[in-house]
Amino acid sequence: MANHSQLGFQDASSPIMEELIQFHDHALMVALAICSLVLYLLTLMLTEKLSSSTVDAQEIELVWTILPAMVLITLALPSLRILYMMDEINEPDLTLKAIGHQWYWTYEYTDFKDLTFDSYMIPTADLPLGHFRLLEVDHRVIVPTGSTVRVIVTADDVLHSWAVPSLGVKTDAIPGRLNQTSFFATRPGVYYGQCSEICGANHSFMPIVVESAPLPNFEHWSSSLSS
Amino acid sequence: MLASRVFSLVGRRSISTSLCLRAHGHGVVKAEDYTLPAYVDRRDVPLPEVAFVRDLSAQQQALKEKEKASWSALSVDEKVELYRIKFNETYAEMNKGTNEWKTILGGVFFFLGFTGIILIWQKHFMYGPIPHTFSEEWLSAQTKRMLDMRVNPVEGISAQWDFDKNEWKK
Repeated sequence: MANHSQLGFQDASSPIMEELIQFHDHALMVALAICSLVLYLLTLMLTEKLSSSTVDAQEIELVWTILPAMVLITLALPSLRILYMMDEINEPDLTLKAIGHQWYWTYEYTDFKDLTFDSYMIPTADLPLGHFRLLEVDHRVIVPTGSTVRVIVTADDVLHSWAVPSLGVKTDAIPGRLNQTSFFATRPGVYYGQCSEICGANHSFMPIVVESAPLPNFEHWSSSLSS
Repeated sequence: MLASRVFSLVGRRSISTSLCLRAHGHGVVKAEDYTLPAYVDRRDVPLPEVAFVRDLSAQQQALKEKEKASWSALSVDEKVELYRIKFNETYAEMNKGTNEWKTILGGVFFFLGFTGIILIWQKHFMYGPIPHTFSEEWLSAQTKRMLDMRVNPVEGISAQWDFDKNEWKK
């Protein structure tokens, strides 16, 4: 989860999110360079060190076409690399279905047995001391650490979106459609997210909590629930 | 009465048209002001198309005659007068800044202050109490729970806590 006034990303808990953070750093550096250049030119103009009586501008026109093209390539190449990396065939160990309703999620683990449960937000008035307001749920999504998990996301009524920022996952839940995403939790922990597509009055009150536990713990949990 | 009015209007039209005819030779359209040579005070136009003063008084005409002779015979005041006939403003006058920025800045501060007043009024008269999860007790329990759960252990909050010494890292 994020701190109270956090501006930047949460720490990555999956390799894709690590890549995305690095790309974001790269893109912000490019943006800083461009903004510095613009600010410098603006200062030159405002202090009258640049004249405006130019009649032939072939050289500068060439420069300000080639340079932006190079900047765009600098941004596009890492971006496409990550995009394709996200779509790689990764042979998931576990498949999980996330179904969005107004205003809760249903999770189904049907690989081996039929394990289905609903996940509602815990109301603020019922929160135990020190728990996170608007983020805690009654039943978390438990996944094994270090296993590739495939998530099939859909919705029952209106559009929702299943998002967990620290895993680098955000997938729209569309009624009548199955969207697939996958993630790999690199470390054990609890990762919070919130519904990311406006879906009515309680859109802000249907969070997602993914708990990444070591495999034996996961197996113990899933067998105890589905029996 | 109407006939004389019509005649004067037509007369005026014909005079301006004939002026155009004389100027361009085919005169269908009246010459617009912006197509005629004009005076302009611009940094990048050092020699405007016409002089600033078009109709010279007798005194100024005499000065222009004197200008045709040697310039060293002219006094400083006469040279300034000649300059003012040719140009409206000097470069210094043209480039001089205004005090507009003070007005703008004042306006900006005024509206910022006004917005602040609205926000203070809203907080005092309109909004209800904030959730109980912002109390000191809750926040410290919450922070402890975040550290116990190792939230953001790489560069975030759990990376700033020294778990051995049980205190924030220096």
